[in-house]
Amino acid sequence: MSLTPVSDADPAARRRLIGALATLAILWPLFQAAEVKPGALFDTGNLKVIGNFLAGFLPPETGSEFLGYLAKAILETLAIATAGMTLAFVIALPLAYLASGAAREKPTLNPFTRSLLTILRGIPELVWALIFVRVFGLGPAAGVLALGLTYGGMLAKVYAEILESVDAAPANALRHSGASRSLAILYGLIPQAAKELTSYSIYRWECAIRASVVMGFVGAGGLGQLMDQAMKMLNGGEAASILLAFMLLVFAADGISGWLRRALDTQPAPKPSPFGARSVFVASTLLFAIGASFGLLDISFAALFTAEAAHSISEFIAGFFPPDLSADWLGKVAQGIWETLAISIVGTLLAALAGLLLALPKWRPPFNFLLNSLRSVPELVWATITALAVGLGPFAGALALALHTSGVLGRLYAEALANAPATPGRALQLSGASGGLAFLYGTLPGAAPQLIAYTLYRWEMNIRMAAILGFVGAGGLGQLLYFELSLFHHAQASTVIIAMLLLSIAVDQSSAWLRQRMR
Amino acid sequence: MSFALDGVGLIHANGFVALKGVTLKAEKGEHIALIGPSGAGKTSLLSLLGTALQATAGSVTVLNFAPFLQSTGTIKSLRARIGTVHQSPPIPGRQRVVTAILAGKLGQWPAWKSLASLIYPLDIPGAQAALERVDLAEKLFARCDQLSGGQLQRVGIARVLYQQPELILADEPVSALDPTLALATIRLLIADAAARNATLVTSLHAVDLALGNFSRIVGVKAGNIAFDLPAGEVTVPLLHDLYASEGEELPVQAHEPNFLAQANTRNACR
Repeated sequence: MSLTPVSDADPAARRRLIGALATLAILWPLFQAAEVKPGALFDTGNLKVIGNFLAGFLPPETGSEFLGYLAKAILETLAIATAGMTLAFVIALPLAYLASGAAREKPTLNPFTRSLLTILRGIPELVWALIFVRVFGLGPAAGVLALGLTYGGMLAKVYAEILESVDAAPANALRHSGASRSLAILYGLIPQAAKELTSYSIYRWECAIRASVVMGFVGAGGLGQLMDQAMKMLNGGEAASILLAFMLLVFAADGISGWLRRALDTQPAPKPSPFGARSVFVASTLLFAIGASFGLLDISFAALFTAEAAHSISEFIAGFFPPDLSADWLGKVAQGIWETLAISIVGTLLAALAGLLLALPKWRPPFNFLLNSLRSVPELVWATITALAVGLGPFAGALALALHTSGVLGRLYAEALANAPATPGRALQLSGASGGLAFLYGTLPGAAPQLIAYTLYRWEMNIRMAAILGFVGAGGLGQLLYFELSLFHHAQASTVIIAMLLLSIAVDQSSAWLRQRMR
Repeated sequence: MSFALDGVGLIHANGFVALKGVTLKAEKGEHIALIGPSGAGKTSLLSLLGTALQATAGSVTVLNFAPFLQSTGTIKSLRARIGTVHQSPPIPGRQRVVTAILAGKLGQWPAWKSLASLIYPLDIPGAQAALERVDLAEKLFARCDQLSGGQLQRVGIARVLYQQPELILADEPVSALDPTLALATIRLLIADAAARNATLVTSLHAVDLALGNFSRIVGVKAGNIAFDLPAGEVTVPLLHDLYASEGEELPVQAHEPNFLAQANTRNACR
């Protein structure tokens, strides 16, 4: 019946071989650039340093004086996150309104606001913090401003997109009956989008806590500053206590954020005002937290806006222009970009491997605990530890990314595998296949698209992260920027910041393109 | 002896009694059709034989082993000798047909061969031959999510043909096929079993397919064996009694009632 000749070779083999060779050809120089040298992990000198340091972890420091510092640093971290989020929200509202095409008669996108948003969120918050520390001096003010600007940009972009993604008909109808644009949004779009808007804001607050934890590494206050000091003095006991505090903070933020997001699903009471006792509780807690945060941080915003401050800011900014575009320096920056990409790719690959291995065991509790612990420590903190283990340089950065990301990916992978159809693997086991082979032939093909999507998404985030890991000496663009800023070479630093911005835009564009292709 | 169930009962975890006191034996090389209304316990019976479920009462012996009394290694090698055709083929959509078929021998191949076959299929001619027998030769390198439901069901059958098990269990293997193809496929399964002297147990929805092709018919009703007779001795009243819960009409494949006429004449001759 069939006229096709019996093929005895796999037609896909050629494509697969070329793909594998191309992957190797791309990965090899990347591994070189990331200076991957597993031997460094077992180098006796390094082993001694990290061994002594880790040995110092037990017992964690519990001296009352230190605990006092720790409590103060935790409060400061929470305050930076809350104040930063408040600032971000204040910035995001008008920008989202201006940038969004929602409820516009002619759907024109505002190019000026859009590019402002791109700049705000394209430059990592830690870079903003590093710059603000130089303008306003050491202390939490720089951290709050940095969080406010970056997260303001992120919130504005996502708010604008959420408003554009809901059904436009109600708002259009209101506009046609004479309502202004802002009222049309309030009555026509916000009711549809409220849940998603709130949910995203809560998620961002959780991220802000993580981010403010590391602000201290550039001198912007909070737990990070304490950690930085402990690491510089190789005080394992203090580092252990601080790490535990990190984990508790992140777990608590996780829990509260999850509770708040679940609370969004409850039906409103059938009363004239939909706000009940819980809303009042949440709102008053929020107001109190914001007030207490600004009170604790004691930022005198008046001092930031004096003529003197304006002068020093403008002088500082002027130093960044024109950026150094000499061929020599551009070459160095290009090398920094390459190293950053290498760190992100090697780190993500290692994380994908480790995450998959940790996601496989059937008995979850100990592995879930391990995964949660891995991801509760921010990349930058991991980098300070891996730098001790393998020495300064890009390999430390790749390892740090791998440790944090394997926690994140492992959790996502485990969920994806649990949700993958179970029957194919089960059927193979019933025809005698071992558990491992049944997984490879039956379960993995079903879960693969999800696993790949998660990995790409994390890689995207890791490129941004790899750009700043250099602040603690882990290579890439960050190390370049940190050096140049320390030497007051502002023109050179400016070029690096522009490179970071371009890298972030490129990542944004290509991931949007990739998502469209995969749809 | 191929398998023996002795006073077997099965109660599912949710408390549902699927089988009670079932006793059924089969010699090597027998071709048995399981018929009966839906929910009668046909699939449960096949799951017990396929070692997918453990009986909650009585004794189960399959290919001279009592599964679940054995070490994991023995169960694996026992399972490698049992092939199951599932009603909805348990094949990942993104897998290629060739890989899906080769997966039938995972229980027999050494681990290195199974792993290498994920990168390059190591027995293309074997997979091709199995696929030709279900008339899908041109789909060897297609992805399974590009196949129709009927084509995918035939890939599932090709996998079992490739596995060459001593005991073939088929749960409604032709439910997604049109009558002509269904008949051809049932004949293919029987021919394959006959050629290798393997035992075939098939649950079928269509009574005519069962009576026309299988030598031994087992009627299952409410978790019990209602009758266990050679095809020639199954009478229309027996069938109506078996399907009493599903109304007057008997479930048939073809809309030609001549098989009933044949059954009646056979009865009349007796």
